[in-house]
Amino acid sequence: MGGMHQILLKIGPAAFRIASAWRQPLEQLEALYKDYPQPIGEYVDFTVRLEPEKPWRRHIRPSVHIGGDFWLPDAAPLPLTQGLLAAEMGMNLQMALGWRRHLLLHASSVEKEGKALIMTGLSGSGKSTLSGMLAERGWRFMGDEFALLSLDTGEITPFPRLISLKNKAIDAMQQLAPANRFGPEMKATPKGDIRHLVPPKEAIARMDETARPALLLFPRFGHAPELRDMGQAEIFVRLTQASTNYVALGEEGFHALTRFVDQVPTRAMDYQSVEQAEALIDRLWSQLP
Amino acid sequence: MMRDARPLVDALREPASVKSLNGSQWTDLISIARAESLIGSLAHRLEKVTMPDRVRAVLQDAIGAHDLARQQALWEADCAQRALADYPGKIVLMKGTAYVAANMSAGVGRSIGDLDIMVAREGLPVVEAALLDAGWEWVKPDPYDDQYYRDHMHELPPLIHRERDRMIDVHHTILPLTAGPAPNAGAILNSAVRLDNGLYVMSPADMVLHSIAHLFADGDLAGGLRNLWDINHLLRDFSAADEEFWTQLDSRAKVHGLGDELARALRLAAAIYDAPVDPSLAGRPALTDSLYVRRLLARDGYGRETRKFTRFAFYVRSHWLRMPPLMLARHLWTKWRKGGKP
Amino acid sequence: MTQKYRAAPKDDLIWHDLDSMMLLYHRPSGITHMLADPVPAIIEVMDNAPLTAAEIAARLTALFDLETGVDAQDIVIARLDELRTLGLVSRVSG
Repeated sequence: MGGMHQILLKIGPAAFRIASAWRQPLEQLEALYKDYPQPIGEYVDFTVRLEPEKPWRRHIRPSVHIGGDFWLPDAAPLPLTQGLLAAEMGMNLQMALGWRRHLLLHASSVEKEGKALIMTGLSGSGKSTLSGMLAERGWRFMGDEFALLSLDTGEITPFPRLISLKNKAIDAMQQLAPANRFGPEMKATPKGDIRHLVPPKEAIARMDETARPALLLFPRFGHAPELRDMGQAEIFVRLTQASTNYVALGEEGFHALTRFVDQVPTRAMDYQSVEQAEALIDRLWSQLP
Repeated sequence: MMRDARPLVDALREPASVKSLNGSQWTDLISIARAESLIGSLAHRLEKVTMPDRVRAVLQDAIGAHDLARQQALWEADCAQRALADYPGKIVLMKGTAYVAANMSAGVGRSIGDLDIMVAREGLPVVEAALLDAGWEWVKPDPYDDQYYRDHMHELPPLIHRERDRMIDVHHTILPLTAGPAPNAGAILNSAVRLDNGLYVMSPADMVLHSIAHLFADGDLAGGLRNLWDINHLLRDFSAADEEFWTQLDSRAKVHGLGDELARALRLAAAIYDAPVDPSLAGRPALTDSLYVRRLLARDGYGRETRKFTRFAFYVRSHWLRMPPLMLARHLWTKWRKGGKP
Repeated sequence: MTQKYRAAPKDDLIWHDLDSMMLLYHRPSGITHMLADPVPAIIEVMDNAPLTAAEIAARLTALFDLETGVDAQDIVIARLDELRTLGLVSRVSG
């Protein structure tokens, strides 16, 4: 059994120990998360483990099995060149399976004027890219993978991890953000080409500031620009599908999500470019009470 | 970096022992507890101990998660009971669901997976039909596995409920039929104790022996620390409630042919958790007891299983226990032919 | 038919109105149900008292406008069977 290296990370309300059989993914994580605070007193909420898929895959064609305190059977391994992705996926897994202090929505979120815009949808809807773009255009980035909804106050708590950019979005963001904020290129991952982007400094510095959710969008990329109303029943169902812990939170989850659906104006938004999306968003935002 | 699970058993045995832990030691302890499915039990044991807020938050989460598991387990038992309303025989709850349904200390903070019930073997066709009718489906449709299960295993092939997505395991005895010791299923059903809601749990001695059979026969002692923690609670509660308990335990062990396993389990529970045991039943310490303890504690501060060689020895041994060598060869050969892993 | 039915106790149920459907959080199971008319109304008129399907249908007809020509009792029986599968309604013996 080999030795393990480890680093500690704190992002928003959650702290992680990332343990790895190889130094390289941890060095990459440390470089990208260098402006983030350390967990106080070395207390963490979860441990992620990156280990060889088989003992002999530690050095030869090294293959990373993603594990940790919370894990899934039959998790597909990744090559070591995608170790950074494995670490990020490992953190997602711990949150999805183990976090109980907020209702988790698979959504991105940005903040302006103390109010939060939340964007949720399937992979490819563009929620990550949109949040990254808006973060360079006057909005404060709060998160691209999980939106954390407070069970008692109904506010959104930031969880600003590295922004995960896929395929074409990588080039687009490289026009907007400086090179030193980008992680390594990872080609042909299970989710396509991926590159991580460090959130703007302000997002990191203000990661403890919550915001009231003011607008919920279901973006859909690749269709003529349009905004559509949605029925509450549809919104509720889609949000339960977008939540990893709705069921686990029982009655509290029910109250938090029904209050959210009651109080937050919601639209479906079709768009073909980020500029179109931004225009639609600005229009809606200006009409908010 | 914690090298084995001793700090976990220390914390469970003696909650105050955690007061000296620092941040990274707490992180280790939590990883070990989660890996051993004991975080809920640990959280309950440490409820009255002062600790840093950040740790309290993690343990509170564990309590919340296990409360939900408990609620879901009881509901699942309720659903099964309603589906089997026309089945006249006893429906005996097993393992974690039994502990929570009977409000036992062993159920506090316990992680619960599938619903396990036991019914009389002759009731299986009726029970199977009623469950299928009420929305359960087979998990694995493979005819060889299916046949093997029905002929040789102690349970029906696994069923999962279509809408609730929860599994039920229907047992008719407590060990695979082809294994060495032959427990007396009829005796278990006859002595089963009725709960207020009309479901049953095993009698105290049978409950302990079932947990012991599970500990040794169901795998390479995987999950053994939790299993022994259950046994520890059962022994404490039952021996305190009834001075005849040890006598019953002794005679039931003979009925089921589990005398050796009982003795070993008592010694291990005493060694690891200070469980109260009757010395005449526990017998003399065996040289191999320490090997078992090493295997049980083989978990490092990252939550990884350690001591690979010991593990391997246990794994091969457990396969042998479940099936006679000839059967094992045939079973593995057929699986290999079909491309499956043994 | 004289079979009586009883709905889950009021304390076990938390209702929430969405525009086209009612949400029902069932506390013993932790399951959230989404129910369309007339199911919420059926549970409401059962009001914790054991009733036959005919009695339930009569209460529904008295409170709500039902289509003429529709056999309310048949609809009620069908819905009660579904609710029984979900564990929200049980048969009362005797």
